[in-house]
Amino acid sequence: MCTGKNLLCCIFYGFLSLFFTNTFANTANLHHTTDTLFKIQQTEIKGVITDTHGVPIVGASIQIKNTHKGSISDFEGRYSILAKSTDILVFSALGYATQTIPVHQRTTIHMQLQENVTLLDEVILNAGYYKVTEKERTGSIAKVTQAVMEQQPLSNPLGALQGRVAGVEITQTSGIPGAGFDIKIRGQNSIRSTGNDPLYVVDGVPFSSTTLGNVQVSGTIIPGLGVSPLNNIHPSDIRSIEILKDADATAIYGSRGANGVVLITTKKGKAGDTTFRLNVSSGFGKVTHTIPLLSTSEHIALRKEAYANDGITTIPSNAYDINGTWDTSKETDWQKELIGNVALFTNIQGALSGGNDQTTFLVSGNYQKQTTVFPGDFHNNTASFLTNFNHRSKNEKLQVQLSLNYAVGNNNLVSSDFIREVYKLTPNAPELYTDDGTLNWENGTWNNPLRQREGKYLSHTKNLIGNLLVGYNLTENLKFSTSLGYTQTYQNEKKTTPSTIFNPAYGRGSEFSSIRHNDTHRTSWIAEPQLQWNLKLKDTELKALVGITFREDQSNQLVQYARGFTSNSLIENIAAANTVTILNNSLSDYKYHALFARVHINHKRKYLVNLTGRRDGSSRFGPHKRFANFGAIGAAWIFSKEKYIKDHFPILSFGKLRGSYGTTGNDQIGDYGYLNTYTINPSTYQNTNGLEPSRLFNPDFSWEVNKKFEIALELGLFNDRIFITSSYYSNRSSNQLVGIPLPGTTGFSSLNANLKATVENKGWEIVLSTVNFDTNALKWTSSVNLSIPKNTLLAFPDLEGSTYANRLVIGEPLNIQKLYQLEGVDSQTGLYTFKDVNGDGIISSPNDNHVVRNLNPAFFGGLQNTISYKGFDVNFLFQFKKQLGKSYVVTGLPGSLTSLPTSYLNRWQKPGDATQIQRLTTGGNSAALNAYVNYLSSTASISDASFIRLKTMALSYQLDKRWLKGLNCKIYLQGQNLFTITGYDGLDPETQSSRTIPPLKIFTLGTTLTF
Amino acid sequence: MKFLKKWHFYTKVFFYILLLSSCEAFVEIDAPNDQLTGDEIYQEAGTVTAALTNIYAHLRDDGITNGRLNGMNNLLGLYADELDLHSTSLPQIQSFYLSSLEASNTNVSNLWKNSYNLIYAANAIIEGLEKTSELKAQEKKQFLGEAYFVRGFLHFYLVNLFGDIPYIDTTDYKTNSKVSRMPFEEVYTNIIADLVQSKSLLTEKYTSSEKVRPNKWAASALLARVYLYHKDWQKALEESTAIINSGSYQLEPNINKVFLKTSPETLWQFSTAANGYNTYEGFTFIFNSGPPRTVALSNRLIQSFNFTDGRLANWTKAISKGSNSWYHPYKYKEQKPTSTSKEYSIMFRLAEQFLIRAEARVKLGDVSGAVQDLNTIRIRAGLIATTATDQEAVFNAILQERRHELFTELGHRWFDLKRTGKASSYLPLIKSNWKSTAILLPIPTSELILNPNLNPQNNGY
Repeated sequence: MCTGKNLLCCIFYGFLSLFFTNTFANTANLHHTTDTLFKIQQTEIKGVITDTHGVPIVGASIQIKNTHKGSISDFEGRYSILAKSTDILVFSALGYATQTIPVHQRTTIHMQLQENVTLLDEVILNAGYYKVTEKERTGSIAKVTQAVMEQQPLSNPLGALQGRVAGVEITQTSGIPGAGFDIKIRGQNSIRSTGNDPLYVVDGVPFSSTTLGNVQVSGTIIPGLGVSPLNNIHPSDIRSIEILKDADATAIYGSRGANGVVLITTKKGKAGDTTFRLNVSSGFGKVTHTIPLLSTSEHIALRKEAYANDGITTIPSNAYDINGTWDTSKETDWQKELIGNVALFTNIQGALSGGNDQTTFLVSGNYQKQTTVFPGDFHNNTASFLTNFNHRSKNEKLQVQLSLNYAVGNNNLVSSDFIREVYKLTPNAPELYTDDGTLNWENGTWNNPLRQREGKYLSHTKNLIGNLLVGYNLTENLKFSTSLGYTQTYQNEKKTTPSTIFNPAYGRGSEFSSIRHNDTHRTSWIAEPQLQWNLKLKDTELKALVGITFREDQSNQLVQYARGFTSNSLIENIAAANTVTILNNSLSDYKYHALFARVHINHKRKYLVNLTGRRDGSSRFGPHKRFANFGAIGAAWIFSKEKYIKDHFPILSFGKLRGSYGTTGNDQIGDYGYLNTYTINPSTYQNTNGLEPSRLFNPDFSWEVNKKFEIALELGLFNDRIFITSSYYSNRSSNQLVGIPLPGTTGFSSLNANLKATVENKGWEIVLSTVNFDTNALKWTSSVNLSIPKNTLLAFPDLEGSTYANRLVIGEPLNIQKLYQLEGVDSQTGLYTFKDVNGDGIISSPNDNHVVRNLNPAFFGGLQNTISYKGFDVNFLFQFKKQLGKSYVVTGLPGSLTSLPTSYLNRWQKPGDATQIQRLTTGGNSAALNAYVNYLSSTASISDASFIRLKTMALSYQLDKRWLKGLNCKIYLQGQNLFTITGYDGLDPETQSSRTIPPLKIFTLGTTLTF
Repeated sequence: MKFLKKWHFYTKVFFYILLLSSCEAFVEIDAPNDQLTGDEIYQEAGTVTAALTNIYAHLRDDGITNGRLNGMNNLLGLYADELDLHSTSLPQIQSFYLSSLEASNTNVSNLWKNSYNLIYAANAIIEGLEKTSELKAQEKKQFLGEAYFVRGFLHFYLVNLFGDIPYIDTTDYKTNSKVSRMPFEEVYTNIIADLVQSKSLLTEKYTSSEKVRPNKWAASALLARVYLYHKDWQKALEESTAIINSGSYQLEPNINKVFLKTSPETLWQFSTAANGYNTYEGFTFIFNSGPPRTVALSNRLIQSFNFTDGRLANWTKAISKGSNSWYHPYKYKEQKPTSTSKEYSIMFRLAEQFLIRAEARVKLGDVSGAVQDLNTIRIRAGLIATTATDQEAVFNAILQERRHELFTELGHRWFDLKRTGKASSYLPLIKSNWKSTAILLPIPTSELILNPNLNPQNNGY
């Protein structure tokens, strides 16, 4: 027999050595036999489970305490279970407080469950390799549930996290269908802008969020790098998303955990009657905001003034807008014309689920169609299919879970965003069409914006995620499981530029037509066998986990440019082109191997310690640094369970202090980064492309290290009706892969290596949740989250000698701009003036742009409210952010042939004018031109972009079941980006761009039927 | 108990797998398929050729010898007295023209960095070839000969531009990032050793009919130039004589054809990036209407020509607007692409060898031999024989001839003024900012920050 202390040793050594002791085996044996001691007669117990309104609860779980035996309530809330008279029944259902009742010789037990408003205990968090309860977690894990996802019309799961999770800054990059979101969990860790993505894991399978698109193909329509692969995971197939933030939660992901981990869990089948759920919705979307522009008469006056300012008295022949070539009385609202249409949204989803105690299944199909705000038939269609199968053997020893998620997407868009045309057009620009319905080129005097429609952007994606989980309970306390995963992602995208896109004045035929074509595949597999061991002693519970990972990713990309076709109708056929140029052909292989472990100790359910660690080997690391160790310790003290606290602070229903410290790594450093490779020089010599050394060999090339510290206090007051979590974190990333600046004598300007530059992210996160009303009729809960992040570059050796010299400043955040100080408009000359720091009389960089502006948010967060009254539910979410952003920039030179915002009505006109906007110029005044160029790099280019936005509003009504026989029907109305309060001068304070469509304002109406 | 045994077994299997996890084999991957690694390059003659000719492509496109505004040709032409700068929007070039260089000048930094970048490429070839046994002996000799040639060539220009410089003969960045400057005498010793080795490895044959990769005589021609700058007159005489007597090269009698790619006097020239392209020199210097956009020949140079000099008539061209006229170099006559390439940028030509020999001879006391070589060049240009007779006058006549024969070619004029000591007496007369310390370019500031061993900075910066 073994004492408690010995047992602890057993756990450690037992898991880490090959030599299993017999002592250990004997202990397990003991547990095995105790289970079979009591075999008393059992009777059937029946009953109905209802909520406080008497409505039956479907799928509630009935379990006999301390056993695995259980049952589930059916559609009418009825259940039956075999139990002994000494047994205790545990009734539980999601959203309701768990109740336990001893059987006491009864055969009928009806149960009424209380709706649970705080849910704290019940919430099980997925921490990836293990699960923890919300109350007993030691790490920083945030969860967004299915209920939340269902409140908003979404096509990308990240949209559901916006404004809801503290510490997670999510920015929608565009309102174009298929575009992605930028996500930063607790700030930017890597100086490289490409190395800051979190690790995504879908049902245990890592999923790369890196786009398969190529910017040379999609760049003019999809902002950022291309179509986001996360669009392949349909939000309505997701049961929950967990975000792991601190070292305690992420260290088990080792070299991939530095930027946080996003765990996506898809829906599973539920035992009980087979149900079919049908969800149909449709809606429309509009651009949230347009810019007030000058009218034709104002425009013409300003243009004439610009020529007069430049001393040009004869209006030149190319000033079509004012020299009489174009109708000077015509007035077109180009914003309305080109980006003012209504985008339509359609979503149909059907899911069949059911099963029994042993086997459950879910089959779900989804179709979504979205059109654009552009004139013309452009749309993005996605269809996805999810199937999930769960089985446990009768003796509960074997568990099998299989899930398959397959998605297909077809994105059919215009080749270039119309918004890029809008602000170039003067209000009196010509008609779009001639009388015979063809494109009007007005004798070649303008580039008709609808020419862009001649070109197409077509993207076709396919995505498969498969996961098989097999578990076997070797003993009651020891479980072996293996997770096997496979993902395959494919994207084919094309951008066509037919000759008809060019002004006919150039006389270009199909020999000038071209197509860009990208074909990218990515496949990966993963195998993760693991062993879990649980031990319960008198006061102490111990959980241990150890496992290994094998993973391989392969990807290849072929990007081609083909030009010259005999006919435009052949443009999509590369074989018909005169010349084909390969823009990129790459093939990469990545292999990863790891050992991970966790030991969790829970003493008296008050003192919790969690140790996690990982040893990683990765083909991305140089030969000298193939393996790396990461680890963290997390601890929590639930002090509200201490007698002293209970006695003296009765209003405190829950109190926990937790903290964690550990290391994680960032392996987003590209494949083959350590090799001394030669690349092809496009310039030839004797008709041969040269091969040039592109990189130095660096055997020490390795991960970026991220050390995370967090301390948090969680308080529940008045029976958890008020719940506050406040945490402080401080993360430091070093070993930055920015390229060590090298002197030229080495032949290179930098070495692809880990530099001792350090980036610090620290900040506060506060979440306050309250239950404002909780009566039978009315329930109202609120939750507000606030994040106050601070990002600082602490160290960067030899910054002045590096290529970052003009981009970074030690002691400042990474996301900064160095600007000229605008001093205003000289009232005499009418020119912008700037501070001449070095006093040389010339405004130039890097001598005079010394003002640093921080583009990171000062704080951000969200406020959500849920109100239910009888069958009605109202949810709304306000998102807020305090930040500086890039100001609206006029396309072209103010005064040239371009449209101007109404703010230009207050420009400088004559000596003595005190204004904020300088004199207009057509380009003929070089001083004004220079001043304007400097203005774009001055403090004026950054302005306040703070906003408060009603992000989501959802109203739903559950029809009374008595009306609809056996049919459960819910009707809902949802809105997205309904209104925004901001002082920002551009299109949208979130995207801060006038080169892409901002996020749309969307309304959808839908219904969910369950039968 | 039976079951227990079973799980005991499973557990053992599991831990065996764990043990395997310490094995690194799994994370080994093959080399990428879309890029070549250093070791692979040197297994095949085709890839070595691509690595080597890439150096020439860079020397043509962006290295020190490039024919654009940021090449030595233009920068040193402005720094000396050959060219005038007409643009005011090129501050980094203007400071060469105004003798107001600072150590932060980007063009200075480019001259330095591009040269060492190509020296790395040459060293990588030398090291790669030493390791390989895949190539034929003759191929290997040719490649090595060219790599040593390039290494010597670049160090030669660096030492003349910057004075004491690090001599780099390894690819090891750890060594190279901490190097100190080597006294220029020692640098010369290394350059000469490289070139002697190069000459012994190369043959008289070119690898193709176009003389676009150096042969033995190109190495000789460079050695002659090195010895001349180093005042090793006897050796300069020997090298230039060997070339002149080799019979492989003849002076082109028609001076309008000297710069054609088929010119019989060329020893080494750069192939263009595509057939139909011509030289960057032609593209940069030629202008068709006044005033000049960037640079033009200085009046001082134009006025120094004898009006009967065929080179004035044929190698320069006047462009007038109103009463003003400007001259551009017209050695290379093609500004734009032609159906097939007509001109290549020439690095070495036989005329220079005659002038080297003339100078060596006069310094060694063979005045009549010097006059004979000098006249060879003068007569080809349509001039009469020189009237100079004494050693000093003949030497000055040779320098003047170099000025007229070699203008706007690789900064010959600047190096001549510098090596003969005339820069410090002559340039202050025509450049108000000139200081004697301008004889050397500054070591780029960023280099001194990144490698303090390169301190001290050259005087005056």
